[in-house]
Amino acid sequence: MLLSLEGIQKRFGGVTALRNGNLAVAAGEVHLLMGENGAGKSTLMKIVAGMQAADGGIMRWQGQEVRFLNPSAAAANGIAMVHQESLLAPHLTVAENIFLGREGNSFLVPRRRMMEAAARLIAEHHFPLQADWRVERLSPAGKQLVEICRAIQHGSSLLIFDEPTSSLSEAETQEVFRIVATLKQRNVGVIYITHRLEELRALGDRVTVLRDGETVHTGPLAGLSRQELIRHMVGREVAAIYHREPVAPGAEMLAFDAPGLSFTLRAGEIVGLAGLMGAGRTELCQEIFGVARHYHGALRIAGAPRTIQSPGDAVAAGIALITEDRQRTGLARGLPISHNTTLASLHRVSRGTLLDHPAERRLTQDFIERLRIKAESPRQLAGRLSGGNQQKVVIAKWLARQARIFLFDEPTRGIDVGAKVEVFELMDSLAREGAAILMVSSELPELIQVADRILVMRRGRLNGELPGRTTQEEIMKRATFGESEQAIQ
Amino acid sequence: MKSGVLKRLLPFLTLFVLFISLSIASENFLTTTNLSAVVRQTAVINIMALGMTMVIIAGAIDLSVGSILAMGGLLGTMAMEKGAPIPAGVAVGIAAGMFWGFANGFLVTRLKINPFIVTLGTLGIVRGLTLIISNGLPVHQIPQGFSYLGEGTVAGVPFVLWILLLCAAGVHTVLEHTRLGRYAFAIGSNPDAAYYAGIPVAFHTTAVFAICGMLTGLAGMIEASRLMTGQPTAGTGYELQAIAAVVIGGGSLRGGEGTVVGTLIGAFIMGLLANGSDLLGISPYVQQAIIGAVIILAVTVDELRKRKGV
Repeated sequence: MLLSLEGIQKRFGGVTALRNGNLAVAAGEVHLLMGENGAGKSTLMKIVAGMQAADGGIMRWQGQEVRFLNPSAAAANGIAMVHQESLLAPHLTVAENIFLGREGNSFLVPRRRMMEAAARLIAEHHFPLQADWRVERLSPAGKQLVEICRAIQHGSSLLIFDEPTSSLSEAETQEVFRIVATLKQRNVGVIYITHRLEELRALGDRVTVLRDGETVHTGPLAGLSRQELIRHMVGREVAAIYHREPVAPGAEMLAFDAPGLSFTLRAGEIVGLAGLMGAGRTELCQEIFGVARHYHGALRIAGAPRTIQSPGDAVAAGIALITEDRQRTGLARGLPISHNTTLASLHRVSRGTLLDHPAERRLTQDFIERLRIKAESPRQLAGRLSGGNQQKVVIAKWLARQARIFLFDEPTRGIDVGAKVEVFELMDSLAREGAAILMVSSELPELIQVADRILVMRRGRLNGELPGRTTQEEIMKRATFGESEQAIQ
Repeated sequence: MKSGVLKRLLPFLTLFVLFISLSIASENFLTTTNLSAVVRQTAVINIMALGMTMVIIAGAIDLSVGSILAMGGLLGTMAMEKGAPIPAGVAVGIAAGMFWGFANGFLVTRLKINPFIVTLGTLGIVRGLTLIISNGLPVHQIPQGFSYLGEGTVAGVPFVLWILLLCAAGVHTVLEHTRLGRYAFAIGSNPDAAYYAGIPVAFHTTAVFAICGMLTGLAGMIEASRLMTGQPTAGTGYELQAIAAVVIGGGSLRGGEGTVVGTLIGAFIMGLLANGSDLLGISPYVQQAIIGAVIILAVTVDELRKRKGV
């Protein structure tokens, strides 16, 4: 075995992240690591990569018992990790980030050689990057690709991917899978954390499932059904496919009108918005929410023209934006869940000019129960929650505000199966209560399951509207090709 | 719950231990005269530090408070020299402080320049203007009654302590019980998330700077009252003491963290260290080094606690 973990334990203060983590990977094996958010997958992998120290258990690397005290110790042993959250230096270039810490031993940094090597690596994989771009200007997906370049460039013998594709487009995802296949051929061991069951079937050899910090299943991927996998992960049966019964749409809630980009949202509707990376979907959400103007469109709220120049205006108009980057724009990680929940609706928990703390705690506790947020108390810091629970707190903030128009930008990014279904159920009940919902997603199967109709954007314009029950191929066709090219297809 | 109590107790315990040690080490420490002196000496820094607490919680910094203190004190005493009644003079000092706090906030939010740079600039501008206005000369023609502000006693307790407690209660209420305070925490913790939640970030940041300036203007009047002059060179270096008080009290320069009680304790720890050193005959040179070491120690303990994830 290349790597074997036995009974790994890890506690953070009073919270046990890992109780009994077991995992073994052979050279040339693609090993999937699955489990719900907060199951301990990332923690287990950070221990392997030397980013955190285990409190107990044994780690063997090529048969030797080891303990990596820092990431460079792990790297020196040939272990590299592609992180879920970007761990890049934002002010440096793509090339400088790829070679950070591996510039060589000469006093001067070999800038030109680094640039060239980075450019070669990027071209080889057809990534939409330039070696001299500054990382801070990249989208989350772009950063993810830089992380991948960084991990694969120095010939490691074990590569860990922590959900690398959750922010990537279809083409980029395929490229990542191709990279994994190549690594496997080169006899590199790969541990791949993922929530996407089906896509990795062809690629994976074995799978390990963690639940509540414990390895509950490990075995070959072949012959393991989706149902069984989900049962291992969740510990109970869940509906494999979410199915939404559309409601008859009501009055117009929001209408947006810009050249080549006009649409309406009606009460009770969930409208999907599909498109490739860079098609301008996030920009559309930002414009409606008053963050930035890209399209200079005209906006109508409930039939009346309305100018929105700031998020403050948008919130006052009953609009909520659940952003795609919850760490940066969604959550104050250092503040309690309660502060985050009531951030946009303090007027609801105020008596005159003073805040009513008990009322605030009650409201938060109410949402913790309603949205099934796994938290110790309303006072727990939001940053200490798992990804799915953080997303629920962000949603709770807008529910507390009693918004009527919801813009969900990639709402299921980095969220496990169970939490995804919960988010969908929440969107459904909002729609049933008369809210209008725009759902931006790169997860086509999810769009098809949830949305009543799907708008497809291409290069800043609408390129067709499809009914909810459509196929991924139809969406991709409109997302990729213009009208004339479609005819040729 | 437990960690919150521990966090609040640690600076308090330090202060307590310091107090007890000094009581044992020097017989002159636990006397009304000495304790009153400590309170009066600390009050000026303390009141400034209260405003600084709000600024630091909002993720900013104000380096110009030392200069603002001098201008507030100077303009206030000049007004009295020209015949204004004492309360009007004090109001002038406070208004001058508020004006410069507002100016800081305006520059930070409208020009979107880093607060460190803006207030480093206004530190120089305000000090320069103060020297120009006064021609470098202190104001001496001040009504006798003005000394009551800094040296008077109410119910056996220094008047400044009452002012300090009133200010502390006010700032605590704003921070913990009003929207402005809550938004300050949110802006300091994650300005982008605050903006995306629809909070008027610029308005609240400016308000926080203005309150800090106001408190600094008041501190300037107290300083002037204690010295019974309007000194254009007053308050030099006070900004660092105010920041140190906030940081010793658990405030984080990354924003989103800090408490009034912590800051009060931080300021009194520094005050007691200075007073204790004086009583024990430790040279002022050594004092500076001790206080510097305490700042680093306090922050180290705080960081270690956070890293443990408690």
